[in-house]
Amino acid sequence: MNRKELMAVGLTLVLAVFLAGHTSPAGGKVGERAAGPVIAGEGCTSILVGRGASVDGSVMTTHTCDCGTCDWTWRHVPAADHKPGSTRKIYHINQYRTWPPAEGLKWDLIKKDFAGLEIPEVPHTYAYHHGGFGYMNDRQVSLGESSIGCQRRMENPTPAAKFDITMLTLLAMERAATAREAIQVMGSLAEKYGYGFHDDGEMLAVADPKEAWIFEIMPVGPLWTPESGKPGAVWCAQRVPDDHVSVCPNESRIGEIDLANKDFFMASPNAVSLAVEMGFYDPKSGRPFNWKRAYSPQEGSAASTNGGIQRLWRFFDLAAPSQAFKPETPNMDLPFSVKPDKKLSLQDVMTMTRDRSYGTPWDPIKGIRGGPFKNPNYFNRREPRVIDDGRAEYTTVTQSRAGLPDAIGGIVWIAFGSQDTACYMPFYAGVTELPKSFGVGDHWTFSRDSARWAFDYTDFHVQVVYSEAIKDIQAAQAKYEGEIIGRIPEIDQQALALYKQKPAKAAEFLTGFSINNTTTVVNAWWKLGDDLLVKYNRLYLYNTEKRDYERGKPAVPEWWKKAVRAYDILMEPDKK
Amino acid sequence: MNNKSHLSLGGVAVLGLVLLLAGQTVPKAGLPVLTTSAGQSTDVTTLNIVLEEAAIGYDYCDVPTAEMVAGGVGLGGREPGPGFHVEVTTDLAKYPAGTPYKAVIFAIGASLKGMGASGLTLESEEARLKKVIEYCKQKKIFIMAVHVGGESKRGPAGSDNERMIDAVAPFADYLVVTKESNKDGRFTKIAQANKIPITEIEYALGLVDIVKQVLQ
Repeated sequence: MNRKELMAVGLTLVLAVFLAGHTSPAGGKVGERAAGPVIAGEGCTSILVGRGASVDGSVMTTHTCDCGTCDWTWRHVPAADHKPGSTRKIYHINQYRTWPPAEGLKWDLIKKDFAGLEIPEVPHTYAYHHGGFGYMNDRQVSLGESSIGCQRRMENPTPAAKFDITMLTLLAMERAATAREAIQVMGSLAEKYGYGFHDDGEMLAVADPKEAWIFEIMPVGPLWTPESGKPGAVWCAQRVPDDHVSVCPNESRIGEIDLANKDFFMASPNAVSLAVEMGFYDPKSGRPFNWKRAYSPQEGSAASTNGGIQRLWRFFDLAAPSQAFKPETPNMDLPFSVKPDKKLSLQDVMTMTRDRSYGTPWDPIKGIRGGPFKNPNYFNRREPRVIDDGRAEYTTVTQSRAGLPDAIGGIVWIAFGSQDTACYMPFYAGVTELPKSFGVGDHWTFSRDSARWAFDYTDFHVQVVYSEAIKDIQAAQAKYEGEIIGRIPEIDQQALALYKQKPAKAAEFLTGFSINNTTTVVNAWWKLGDDLLVKYNRLYLYNTEKRDYERGKPAVPEWWKKAVRAYDILMEPDKK
Repeated sequence: MNNKSHLSLGGVAVLGLVLLLAGQTVPKAGLPVLTTSAGQSTDVTTLNIVLEEAAIGYDYCDVPTAEMVAGGVGLGGREPGPGFHVEVTTDLAKYPAGTPYKAVIFAIGASLKGMGASGLTLESEEARLKKVIEYCKQKKIFIMAVHVGGESKRGPAGSDNERMIDAVAPFADYLVVTKESNKDGRFTKIAQANKIPITEIEYALGLVDIVKQVLQ
């Protein structure tokens, strides 16, 4: 056998396996999932950080809203006082539904989907910022979200269920001054008026300056009626220990529960009994009741699914590498939370939201998967699913900080589009308006009036020569994100001085700061997109200052050329 | 929830909420029955749970073709696979494999996500439904259509849901819809134009008693 024949045989074996389905050291096939009754989808990751686990003592939550086609509109809802006898209309809000801009704005059009329910209004509703969900109110109550699914028989898509998850989060923003209150508000409304319709099993990260909770809620089946006298939802919440971090990557996280420990657990009255009634738990089994195993079991591990459900293991491995979590450990056996090896800064958390699992068995650029320019989106965008998702509408990092007035202590950082090419922009809880460019959010109509398109525009131009262009992005992130993070203590103090004079002055200052910063960043990203187009045009490297260009740069690596030659040999017709 | 709790609730409250249009009675069809979706939304799960609550065995397939329906109970031995779901809970002692169906129940509700999972487009779903309905008409298989999704899942004229309604409802032998779904009288108009008996229910739970009457 000559060299060429040997090479062809070897490559045939390698590429045949590769083309047949991308194997990894863990075995199995990408995309294969262990059989399990609950598939929650693959959108949204939410991270939680207790105050004792963060460098600055802030409680943090994150949410990657990564549906890929959803409306990305953000808006501010002001605080309001309501007369006795006032009512609050409830709307069915589909997370995924979008409207052409010509029809109007999402939050006006939502009002066409009245759920047929008006509930008594409270005397005062808090101001808040919201996107697809509520995120931060003027009492520093903050949220993140992740769909977790539930047993099929629990789903309730009928209109008997008046509340969807989005509407619950808006009510929590309006009515809750603490995380615990938010949980009670959402839980009690869902019990009374029914939960489901557009949604099924959902997890929310619920935080305030003191603590972070994981709240999980599910419908109780399509045959529920309000006249039954039974709760129209089943829910449970577990507090993340103050010095711990946790995560929800589309999997139920609450296991065994101790409802006697009220400082760490809350639940609806049917939390256990419903599982018994529906046959999901047998008290005679001798095993303790386990919430996730009963209502939303997710079988398998990072390894057994070949990375299909690797985000949970990956997060714990990032947060506490000293504990050497194994990817073979079934996800349901991984801990609820973990004490991180070192306290996490805001930037650490932002970096976690940008994680692509590089260096793991599910590295998206391993081998030739990333193409010549190591693009993690190149081979198979969502398999394995990593924390950074190129399809993100936006990602949030919320900070709830004690020791400051709520208007200043609370910050929601918003990054539009794929996290790796986006820039986090801060919005204090006391901000009274959001930029107009946040009010336009449609995937099918390009708009220079929409902030998010600036980030998609730049992201698009990164894809061509990813390994080079990402360096330009990181430089811009260091300038526009890193520097603003560094300025936050100074902004805090300026706002605090104004707050002491008059809270409204602080609100005005913070609003000006946030909007001005956003304008700067959005304009910078539009320009960055333009610059990348020119710089890497025609796969040359153009130097606009010198009015020069280099052919052959960015260089196509030798290993890629070899891979191409190998492929040619492999595909060469047999010579007879 | 157990059967007992639902039945007692059904007896006290829900029966009173079932509104039959004047002069109409619940038609009889008999077993065996096939349940399926028109539009691949999760409403078919509600339908299946209704049948389970009524203690009625059924065959379920998300995307049956006319040939599969012709295969009778067991759908000609079709096995579930990716994007194709089959479930047989029909009492095979009473209705052995191959027994022709006496009724097919369509849960109307469009879901692009569901159609995508089944590898369907709106157009191919409409075409599939047309053939299945033609076969049912030809073999005099009773067609029941239910819509329990409510008004806000209907969408505007020309929406995916509306197209699914047009593909099935006018050809049904019996329509059962929630009041929410029929707020604008759309189903009543279809029923009147095509002389189809229609029942409005308050909640999906109301369907339990109806399927018992229709199928048993």
